[in-house]
Amino acid sequence: MNMFTYTEIILGVMVLVYILAKIFKISTELSMLAAALAGSLAGGFGIPPRQIAEGSITYLDINLIFITATLFMNILKESGGIAFVVRGILKKFHKNRALLLILLTFLLLVPGALTGAGSVTVLITGGMVAVVLNYMGISKSKTAAIIFIIAGLSAAAPPVSLWAMMTAAGVNMPYVGFFMPLLIPCVVAALITIFLLGWKGEDTNIEKALQELPLPPDKMNWFKVILPFFVFLFFIFMGRQWPHSTPIIGLPLMFLFAALTSFLLSPVKLNFIKISRDTIEQLLPLIGTLTAVGILIQIMTLTGVRGLLAVTAVTLPVTLVFAGLFLMMPVSEAILMYGAAPVIGVPLVLLFNTIGLNPIVALAGLSVIWPLGDALPPTAIIGRLTVQVVGYEDSYTKFLKTCIVPAVLIMIIGTVMVIFSKHLGFLTGL
Amino acid sequence: MDFLTTIVTILYYLFIAYIVFILVLNLIKSKTWEKEILYIIVLIPFLLRLFRLK
Repeated sequence: MNMFTYTEIILGVMVLVYILAKIFKISTELSMLAAALAGSLAGGFGIPPRQIAEGSITYLDINLIFITATLFMNILKESGGIAFVVRGILKKFHKNRALLLILLTFLLLVPGALTGAGSVTVLITGGMVAVVLNYMGISKSKTAAIIFIIAGLSAAAPPVSLWAMMTAAGVNMPYVGFFMPLLIPCVVAALITIFLLGWKGEDTNIEKALQELPLPPDKMNWFKVILPFFVFLFFIFMGRQWPHSTPIIGLPLMFLFAALTSFLLSPVKLNFIKISRDTIEQLLPLIGTLTAVGILIQIMTLTGVRGLLAVTAVTLPVTLVFAGLFLMMPVSEAILMYGAAPVIGVPLVLLFNTIGLNPIVALAGLSVIWPLGDALPPTAIIGRLTVQVVGYEDSYTKFLKTCIVPAVLIMIIGTVMVIFSKHLGFLTGL
Repeated sequence: MDFLTTIVTILYYLFIAYIVFILVLNLIKSKTWEKEILYIIVLIPFLLRLFRLK
């Protein structure tokens, strides 16, 4: 048996086991783990504890960022900070629809941008923004589509974009120079989405909206909301301003300090352990996915499947790859969730690098398209979560149809960024 | 500088120990086998780091 046939059989076994696990309604994380173990068995490696341990720790640093950032956001929400900001924006700008939509967009972008998870945006600000959008006369299906699309874009937005981070790690490329290539398309696409779906409506019914929004504690104020963000930004500034006299603190600890500041400033007494437990419970599918993906990639490397995929991708006709990005990215995300980045993203970035494109801008373009798959079956985790949080009870297909126009625009933006990545290289600042 | 770096390292180990504590608490309280398995898998990297095996 030649090398290619051997690895193709292992890949076939992995795909088959994954499909079988999904048919038996096993979660995506465990299905990926089952596929990894089946691949190892098929390759004649048995169940290798060392490879499982090595693989599981691959994304530990990303998991830590995830946990600390979400803990920060949850503490801010529990202390009444998010409700305070939403009510403040609504009271001040309810007469100016355009400005209100812009501010709501940024309110949706911040939690996901900091944590790298669209689900955090949906859970932290999604519900409250949905209330405001409903009282602006926007239908529930359009509201759900706005929240979903912007939540996805927020996850792709800097500073923490897991797709970009995981793919960059897979090709040994430092996660540097991604800020503007990710920020610009995410902000532009988010604004286009909210204006496209939310411009037409009625005058904001401020009384009813304020009635439905949660009341913040009396002692909550802007200082208590903003100071934790300043603490976070201060650590970033400190590291950049005095790089030789500042220890490397790392994003997780920066988020942890911001979370502790928010906790200490909270006007209501918070149960830190309960919030931590809820945070871990809320993030379990995501940190489980990252751990399972690490194991899957390790087994794929061990058996040669990763090499097979990389070689196949690098030898594909470039036009075919460009034309298929709009389909390949969301579908891979729907099947593998974040696993799509190291499995599909890595060989694609290698290909783009080989043909002389700018790998940073091209990867940023891919990262913008990936989140769209979070509404598609079999996983559809963020799509279903959005529908639930918004209280949309009509058909799921109707919600998907409402997402189509902004989704197509995002696909075009992402694909154009890949094709013209060489010309857009100046965005990286490198 | 070395002293500060040591402090940062200690803080990370303390935080990882805290996450292990929370993960074990949630594992004990979880009611489905799928979640239990997932908690155990997620625990692996944190334990490896906590015990300085990786």
